[in-house]
Amino acid sequence: MSAARLQGHEGGGADAARANDHLDEFVYDDKIVRMFVWATLLWAFIAMLVGVVLALQLALPEANLGLAWVTFGRLRPLHTNAAIFAFAGNAIFAAIYYSTQRLCKARMFSDRLSRLHFWGWQGIIVSAALTLPLGFTQGKEYAELEWPIDLAIAVVWVGFFGVNFFGTLIRRRERHMYVALWFYIATIVTVAILHIFNNLWIPVGVLEFFKTGEVSSFDNLMKSYPIYSGVQDAFMQWWYGHNAVAFFLTTPFLGLMYYFLPKAAERPIFSYRLSIVHFWSIVFIYIWAGPHHLHYTALAAWASSLGMVFSLMLWMPSWGGMINGLLTLRGAWNKVATDPVLKFFVVGITFYGMSTFEGPMLSIKSVNALSHYTDWTIAHVHSGTLGWNGFMTFGMIYWLAPRLFQTKLYSVKAATAHFWIGTIGILLYVISMYTAGVTQGLMWRAFDSTGRLAYPQFIETVTRLAPFYWIRAIGGTMYLASVGLGIWNIWMTWRTRPPQYDEPIQYAAPLSKNYQDPPKPESRLHANIAFGDKVDVNILQGWWHRRLERFPMKFTVLVIVAVIVASLFEAIPMFTVKSVVKTIDSVQPYTPLELYGRDLYVAEGCYNCHSQMIRPIFAETKRYGEYSKAGESIYDRPFQWGSRRIGPDLAREGQTNPNAPWHARHFAEPTDTSPGSIMPSYPWLFEKKIEFESIQARVDAMAMLGVPYGEAINNAPQMAREQAAAIALEIESDGGRPNLADKQVVALIAYLKRLGTDILSPPAGDATAAGGEE
Amino acid sequence: MTQPDSGQYGHLLEHEYDGIAEYDNPTPGWWHTIFLGSVLFSVFYFFFFTFSPMALTEEEQHAEAQRREFQKLFAEIGELEADQATILSLMGDPQWMPVAEGVFATNCVSCHGSMGQGLVGPNLTDDYFKNLTEITQIAEVIQNGAASGAMPAWGNRLHPNEIVLLAAYVADMRGRTIPPGTRTRDPEGEVIPPWPPVPDSVSGE
Repeated sequence: MSAARLQGHEGGGADAARANDHLDEFVYDDKIVRMFVWATLLWAFIAMLVGVVLALQLALPEANLGLAWVTFGRLRPLHTNAAIFAFAGNAIFAAIYYSTQRLCKARMFSDRLSRLHFWGWQGIIVSAALTLPLGFTQGKEYAELEWPIDLAIAVVWVGFFGVNFFGTLIRRRERHMYVALWFYIATIVTVAILHIFNNLWIPVGVLEFFKTGEVSSFDNLMKSYPIYSGVQDAFMQWWYGHNAVAFFLTTPFLGLMYYFLPKAAERPIFSYRLSIVHFWSIVFIYIWAGPHHLHYTALAAWASSLGMVFSLMLWMPSWGGMINGLLTLRGAWNKVATDPVLKFFVVGITFYGMSTFEGPMLSIKSVNALSHYTDWTIAHVHSGTLGWNGFMTFGMIYWLAPRLFQTKLYSVKAATAHFWIGTIGILLYVISMYTAGVTQGLMWRAFDSTGRLAYPQFIETVTRLAPFYWIRAIGGTMYLASVGLGIWNIWMTWRTRPPQYDEPIQYAAPLSKNYQDPPKPESRLHANIAFGDKVDVNILQGWWHRRLERFPMKFTVLVIVAVIVASLFEAIPMFTVKSVVKTIDSVQPYTPLELYGRDLYVAEGCYNCHSQMIRPIFAETKRYGEYSKAGESIYDRPFQWGSRRIGPDLAREGQTNPNAPWHARHFAEPTDTSPGSIMPSYPWLFEKKIEFESIQARVDAMAMLGVPYGEAINNAPQMAREQAAAIALEIESDGGRPNLADKQVVALIAYLKRLGTDILSPPAGDATAAGGEE
Repeated sequence: MTQPDSGQYGHLLEHEYDGIAEYDNPTPGWWHTIFLGSVLFSVFYFFFFTFSPMALTEEEQHAEAQRREFQKLFAEIGELEADQATILSLMGDPQWMPVAEGVFATNCVSCHGSMGQGLVGPNLTDDYFKNLTEITQIAEVIQNGAASGAMPAWGNRLHPNEIVLLAAYVADMRGRTIPPGTRTRDPEGEVIPPWPPVPDSVSGE
C-alpha cells in the first residue's frame, strides 16, 4: 500500500494561502476531564466495594444481614451497573473528552453540554444506587434500571454526550479522523441503538394514570413491562447485553488504547491498515454474537448457531486490537520495566487478548454446555473488567494525572505497587473462579457407575465451592485495596497542583473549504480489468478509506448501517418466523396473584442466582425435569431465564415442589429446609403487604400487550385475594405461620407453584370439551 | 515522537495526530489466515447444522442420550412391574437400591428429609401412613401424587423403573432408625400393618 503518498493538501492557489495564514486560538477544556477522572475513581471504589460485599455474601450468607436492600439479589445489579456504567462509563468519558479535543484540535463543542453530560450521568448513577437496592428493576442483566432512568440515560447519552461529541467533530481543525475517533463514533451510536431498542416498555403506572386518573402505588409508578416476551425478550436482551460488552467495554477502550498507549510509549501505531480492518470487522461482526448467551435454551437453534459462528469469527478482529497495542510497544519495551503506566497498559491489553480468546471458546456450544450457568462466566467477565477495563483506566489516569494536575505524580512506587497488588488480586479472582466454574459444571453433569447423578443434591455442588469463594473474596479485596492506594496517590498528586492551572493557548488553522484529496494512485494491476483496478486503488491501496476518514457524518452513517443491517439479519427472522415460538395450547397467562408474585421475583433479583431454563442435556433433565420450551415463556415479561445457577434451576419448581408450607419455611430460613444453603432469608416477605388494588393496573398493562386475560381484566384484586387466602390456609393448616393472606410471601409462592406446570395441564380447548361431556 | 526508525519497525505514514504517527505495516499473515479460516469454518458449520438432515438437533441428541442412558441402566432388569412381589424383592437390593437412593436424593429430600425423617412431607420411617395401606400404593402415590398436589405426581418425570425402585427404597425406609437429636416430623395418618414378608423364592438364592 502506498498510503504514504496519499497526502492531500489544504486548498490551493492564493486564496488558500491566505486562509492558511489565519490560525484559530483556543484552549482545551481539561476541567471536565478532571471531573470525569475523580468520578471514575469514586465509582471504582464503590463498585468494587459492593463487589467485595457480594463475594463475602456467597462465602458467608450471614453477610446478607437480613436486610432487604443489601441482599445479594438486589445488590448484584448495583455492582454490575456501577462497574460498567459508573466506573467504566466515567473512565471512557474522561478518555474521550481528553483525546477528542486534541485529535480534533478543538475545544469541546459546548461547555454547557459537557457539564450537563457530567452531572446528568452522575445523577443517573445515584438514582441507580437508590432504586436498585429498593427493588426497582426491569430484571434484565445490565438493563435493570427502570423506565424513568432509561429515559434519562437516552437524553444524557444522545442529547448531551452525542451532540457534544459530534459537534466537536464538525468543528474540528484536523482534516482526517484518527482511529480512536472511529471507535468513539461506533461507541456512541451503537450504545444508543442498543439502549433504546432493549428498553421499549409499557410503564404500568402511566397507563393506570391515563385510565383511572390516579396511580395506586409507587411500585406501579416505577414498574414497566417490556414489549417483548419470552424468547424474543431473551434475544433482544442478549443482543443488548453482549453488545454492551462490545460497545461500552470494548470499542471505547480500544479508542482509549489507540490514543493513550502511543502517547505513553512515544511510539507510532504498529499498523494503520490493521486498524482499518479490525475496526470494521469488529463493528460488523460483534452485533451478531449475542445469542451465544442462550445456547441450549429455548432459543431457535439457527440463532444460537449464528451467535456461535460470529463469535468465532470475532476472535481475529479482536486480536487485531491486541496486536496493534502490543506491537506498538516495539522499541519501548525497556520503558515497561520502569513506567507503571505502560505496565498497566501491557497487562490490560494482555487480558483483552485472553478474554477475547476465551469468549469465542466459551461460545462453542459444547464448551458452553459445561460453562454456562457456572462461575466460569464470572471469571471471564472479571478478567475483562478488572484486567482490561480496569488496568487501561488506571494506566490512563496515571498518565493523565501529572498532565491534568500539572505536577509530578506523587509516587511512582505506589503506582507500581497498585499495579502488582491489582494483578495478584485479578489472578486470585479469576483462577479461583475458573476452578469453581469447572468444578461445579463437572459436578452437575457427573454420573456414577450405576448411572445415577453423582451429586444428586444441588446443594453438594454449592458447598464444594466455599473455599473458592473465600479465595475470590481475598482477590477482590486486594484489587479494591490497590484501587484505594491509587486514589490516595492521585489525591496526593492533586495536592501538589499549582495554585492556578496553566491553560496554554493552542493554535491551529481552521479547515479550508477547498481541500483537495491527493490524486488517486495508479492501479498496480496491469491486466486492464476495471473492477480489479478499482479494488486495488480503493481498497488495497486504501484510497477510499483514507478519504472516508475526513467525512465524520458519512463515516457515522456507515457504522450505523453496519450495526443495523447485522442486527436485522437476526432480528427479522426472530420476530417473524413462526417456528421460533411454538405456542403450547395449555400454557395460560399468570393469575393476577401469580403476576404480582412474579414481579416480586423480579424485584428481589431472584434471577441473579436462579435460572428458569432447563437445557436439553440429559444430566439436566434428570435433575430438573423436562427441558424448557419456547412456548412456555410467552407470557414472561421480562423473561427470567437467568445466567447463573448459584441456586438450582426453578423452571419446573411448580411441578417438583408445589408445597406452600415448604416455601414459607424456606423463605423464612433457607437452611431450615435445605441444610447448607447459602440463600439469604427473606423475613420482610412475611411483613410487607400485597397491594391488591395495584394489581389491576398490572393486569391491564399485560392485557394491552396482548396477554389474553379474560375475567381478570375486571376482577384482578378479588381473584388475587381469593388465591392468596387459599395459599395462606395451606400454610397455616400445616402448622406454618398464620395470617399470611395479605403478605408478599404468598404471592411469590403462588408464582413458584405455577412455574413449569402448564405443560402438564390439559390444553385449554380439551378442558371445555371435557366439561361439555358431563 | 516520530523517530527515524522507519527501517526497523516499518514504514512511517506521513500523517500524524496530536503527535501520534502510524506505521504502514501489513496485517500479519497468520492473522489473515486464521480470520479467513474462521469465516470458512463458520459458513460450513452454520449451513451444515442448520440445514443438513445428518445433523441431529439438540432435542434429538437429548432423546438419544436419554434412551441410551436408560438402556444402559436398565438393560439387566428390563421393565419392572409395580406389583407387590417386585417391590418386596427389590427392598435392600445391593445393586438397585443405590439407584433409587440417587432418585430420592434428587427429588424427595427437600420435603421428606435426607433420611426420610419428614419435613413438610410425612416422615417415611415410622409406621404411620397418610395416603396408603399397602406396599404397592407407594408406587401409586409416587406416580400420581397425593394430598391434592402437595405431593406432586412424578409419573411424568421419572422412568417407570425408577418409580418401582423408589417405591422399594421408600418401603425399606420404614423402621429405619433416625439418629437421636434429629428433628422428625410428627406422625400423620394411621398405623398400617407391616409390609408382607419377602417371598422366599425371590430372596433366597
